[in-house]
Amino acid sequence: MAKALFDKYGGFKSVSRIVMAFYEKVLDSDEIGDFFDNVDMPSLIDHQTKFIASLLGGPVSYSDERIKKAHASLDLTHEDFDEVGRLLKETLTEQGIEPQDIDTVMREIESRRTSILSVGTP
Amino acid sequence: MSITAISQQLLRAIGVGIAVLRGDDLHFLFWNEPFSEWFGKPDSGSSLPDVLRDVDMEEIRAALQQNGRYTGELSVKVKRRTLVIALSIAPANADVQDLYVAECQNITRIRELESMIDSYSSMVERNTRDLEREKERVERLLLNLMPRSVYEEFKTFGVVTPQLYESVSVVMLDFVGFTRFASEHDPTVTLGELNDIFTAFDRIAEQFGCERIKTIGDAYLAVAGMPEPSPDHARAVANCAVRFVRYLERRNQSHQHKWEARIGLGTGSAVGSVVGIQKYVYDVFGSAVNLAARLQAFASPMCVVAPGTMEEFLADEFHLTDLGKQDIRSFGELRLMRVSPGTELARKARQF
Repeated sequence: MAKALFDKYGGFKSVSRIVMAFYEKVLDSDEIGDFFDNVDMPSLIDHQTKFIASLLGGPVSYSDERIKKAHASLDLTHEDFDEVGRLLKETLTEQGIEPQDIDTVMREIESRRTSILSVGTP
Repeated sequence: MSITAISQQLLRAIGVGIAVLRGDDLHFLFWNEPFSEWFGKPDSGSSLPDVLRDVDMEEIRAALQQNGRYTGELSVKVKRRTLVIALSIAPANADVQDLYVAECQNITRIRELESMIDSYSSMVERNTRDLEREKERVERLLLNLMPRSVYEEFKTFGVVTPQLYESVSVVMLDFVGFTRFASEHDPTVTLGELNDIFTAFDRIAEQFGCERIKTIGDAYLAVAGMPEPSPDHARAVANCAVRFVRYLERRNQSHQHKWEARIGLGTGSAVGSVVGIQKYVYDVFGSAVNLAARLQAFASPMCVVAPGTMEEFLADEFHLTDLGKQDIRSFGELRLMRVSPGTELARKARQF
């Protein structure tokens, strides 16, 4: 994953906008919002900041192990995963990320599906 | 519209949560839309603690009495979002405390951004630490390739300019029968042996003020007097040389593979510089280096040979044996001598 995306969109400036918009969407979502009912705000923000930054190739990398751990207790389904993917795509589009870059990010997300869901391939 | 009506309208319209409380018992007299969105609609006759259950009434009363106003922060959960609300309560009229105004500002976004900045800065700091470590690793690596002072020049100016050192000494060592050993043994064995021996040589060199410049196969080249000039360079290389021999003798007593080396010393001028652009190698050139190489080839196994010109520097400390005049290629006739440990060192050597 090219470091370029992170730099191309102005580094932290764009990460912060995306994180805030994505955070709103996730919390407001009827499908998946419930997962965040009991998650405290700072840790959710922390998680998403690092996650978005790593997706864009920023100064952090999330190991699959860590992703697994973070989601292990949630019992997520493929539908949940797809919904988060949809919300992220929507967010990125609204934040003016170019379509081909969104595709890159979505591929990154997809490659983590098994880690996030803690299941085998569908 | 009356002034009162307009004021009420205004209070309803703003995005700040406002409630008006009776002075004596803090009962609600008025609240606006944002306030009820965050805390729910106060029932008639309810007072502040009924609605803001998390607040510490003792603290509020104390603050109002002492400072005439209270400021604090509370969090409420609206749907699944935790809101952080800054609450301030102050009398509507400073003189008569019959009415209090509770003002609530939604500072959730500020707190969220603060969390994000915290998160991000911890990432960046970790990254910076990683980079710092990486930088140190690179520096250590470069210091293996060139002396520190040369590295400093390289770092500051981007290049290393060749520098002439008028007076340096060189020690050059080469193993006897290395080619045969290498052909008869597994390369890993050969490498292991060289690594072991050269590591020991490096320690000796460092202790006696020499700097190893390079190894070429089984040849070992170290200098003294550069890049830091030193008046003792001749003694430094001789000290290394006799200890190299002693180390090998001792090692041969306990190791399966026996090694013998020829050692030549040289003295004179040399130029030191980094050679190459992509693959930096700090190297030395000059008559001192050539001389050491020639004398090393001339030396008998486990002998150290030095030019007669070094005599005055070595005579005090070492046992010198005159080898007479010898014809050395590209140097012509030179008086040579064999360098062995002096009585003091030989005595110590017997002790261990």
